[in-house]
Amino acid sequence: MAAEGVARRFGSQLGLAPTSLQVRAGETLALIGPNGAGKSTLLAILAGALAPSSGRVTTAEPPPRIGWVPQRPGLYGLLSARENLVLFAKLEGVADVPAAVEKLLKLVALPDDQKPAAELSGGNQQRLNLAIALLGGPDLLLLDEPTAALDPTQRHALWDVASDVRERGGAVVFATQNLEELARVADRVAVLLGGELVFEGSIPEYERSPEADVFA
Amino acid sequence: MMSRIGVLLGKDVRVLRRSPFLLASLVLYPLAIALLVGLVARFANDRPRVAFVDLDGLPEVLSVGGQDFNVDNVLRQVRAEVDLISLSQEEADHRLANGEVVAQIIVPRGFASRLRGMVESPTLILRATRGGLSGRVERQTEALVFNLNRLLQKSYIEANLEYVDLIRKGGEGSFLGNDVSIVGLQRAGEILGEIERETEDPEIADKANELRNFVREALLALDQSGASLRAVANPIELRFEDEDRRAFLLTAQVQAYALALTLAFLCILIAAAGIAAERDENVIGRLTRGLVRLGEVIAEKIGLAALLGLVFGLALALVFSAALALGGISGQPWDRLPLLAVGLVLGGAAFGAFGVFLGVLAREARTASLLALLVALPIVLLGFLPEVSVAPAAWVSNAFPFAHAVRLFESSLYDLSPWGTVAREAAWLAGLLAVFAAGARLGVRRLLT
Repeated sequence: MAAEGVARRFGSQLGLAPTSLQVRAGETLALIGPNGAGKSTLLAILAGALAPSSGRVTTAEPPPRIGWVPQRPGLYGLLSARENLVLFAKLEGVADVPAAVEKLLKLVALPDDQKPAAELSGGNQQRLNLAIALLGGPDLLLLDEPTAALDPTQRHALWDVASDVRERGGAVVFATQNLEELARVADRVAVLLGGELVFEGSIPEYERSPEADVFA
Repeated sequence: MMSRIGVLLGKDVRVLRRSPFLLASLVLYPLAIALLVGLVARFANDRPRVAFVDLDGLPEVLSVGGQDFNVDNVLRQVRAEVDLISLSQEEADHRLANGEVVAQIIVPRGFASRLRGMVESPTLILRATRGGLSGRVERQTEALVFNLNRLLQKSYIEANLEYVDLIRKGGEGSFLGNDVSIVGLQRAGEILGEIERETEDPEIADKANELRNFVREALLALDQSGASLRAVANPIELRFEDEDRRAFLLTAQVQAYALALTLAFLCILIAAAGIAAERDENVIGRLTRGLVRLGEVIAEKIGLAALLGLVFGLALALVFSAALALGGISGQPWDRLPLLAVGLVLGGAAFGAFGVFLGVLAREARTASLLALLVALPIVLLGFLPEVSVAPAAWVSNAFPFAHAVRLFESSLYDLSPWGTVAREAAWLAGLLAVFAAGARLGVRRLLT
């Protein structure tokens, strides 16, 4: 998948300056930058949830199946975790909905009760958020600050899931402000500042770059 | 496409079932509003304040044509209709100027004497402000004068009949204040008979006979004068008959208003809040990145409104039917319920499209709910205004679904030949549905930011 000069304005405000970025199969790409840098906007555009004001996103053929985990969980608060998964599985056109739902409930270790999703803990909501993104068996997983509400065990579980996607030949793009994660799980890094892509390269290249000092 | 819309519709129905308090409020609130608006329309300003200025100093008891009128009793009848306040002319002018009273009823000087004279009609003066209540006061004053005339008419007829009786039977009487002594037709006939019998002049006997025949015919004619006078006074008599009429709350119009009002609030609010909630729950982006098209989300919310309109509208119609049946009142058109059901779906969808349009503008569920409520209320009130009386209000009202829904429901249920009205109003609703849905589609991308 490649973003070719994608930009996004919100009224008179610039959310993302024209940006070109490629995501390669089998890699984990980290997007870093301070709050408001344009990371979430770029991820939403890559996910197809937000139309760019200019530029375009191109994909290989056949287009990859995309799983998007937005920063704020996107789920129905009055439905239980299972009901949310069943709903999105139907919309994804999953062939065996009950089996897929059972598998994901186990994978992300979510409690299978009738509790409305809005009443789940922040960590469990984030796990449900991830499970919904995994329903379509994605080739490209887009994670927007996915570990913010997770405890260390849950973080490990999340990265295990992400590495499964990568091992299947897929790719993972994640936005983070956690530099430890960056060093531990990313192959490449892209730095956004004020809506502009200011650096793109491998982790060693990043560590040698002046941008590394900004976040040190 | 239908299955995706169906999945979302199922989700919304499930969510609504988990919010029974919200749903009950959304149904009961418009019904309470309908009841209140109905009561206000029926009873507000029922007794407008009217100044009563008695410049003539009417006596407590007024004698007209030998009949006594208790003036207080007559005024008491008026007080049932208006709040009549006895005031001096100066005070009445002051209060009329500052709006404390909406009209003055003035009894001019010489009123009682003209009434007693029974020759010249006395005059009551109504002085009313121009405004919302003036028409009502005029009608009530006309009713007062009508009632007074009816009471006086009886006295006038009785007085006239006394004169006729005096002419027939003869005797002592008074006319225009002068005492008179009349021989009377009966006695005149007797006298003419005596003349005819006693005279020896055949010419006089013939003339007396001729006159006696005239007197006899005049007597016969005057015998009918009572009925004739009453018939002339009341060419048309109105008779009130009691029957099993529908109570005010069960009239066809009220049913139609209650249905439209319930749908207006329920469908506009649910659709507005529903589409904005997709953004609030951060789901709209997830849905529209390939799972569901934005147009399908709009169609689903309109479908939800149509479904709710059908279910709750039919339930309300059945409640009305049950109430009528319990009251022993026939006439509820059960066979028209299928036609009503079609109207409810169309009305619910049109209200839903308007709600979705508002939700897209508001973007956030709480703002959308508030906006929907703020907008729905004046639209509904506009629809209550009579089209003939307030034309501009009707033009504005026609741009929204409420007035069309009312006419469609009323015609569906009660018109003997409903098809013309139903087709016209259904076309209006379908047109408004298309316009608001198109507006929502144009703006729905606002939800993605």
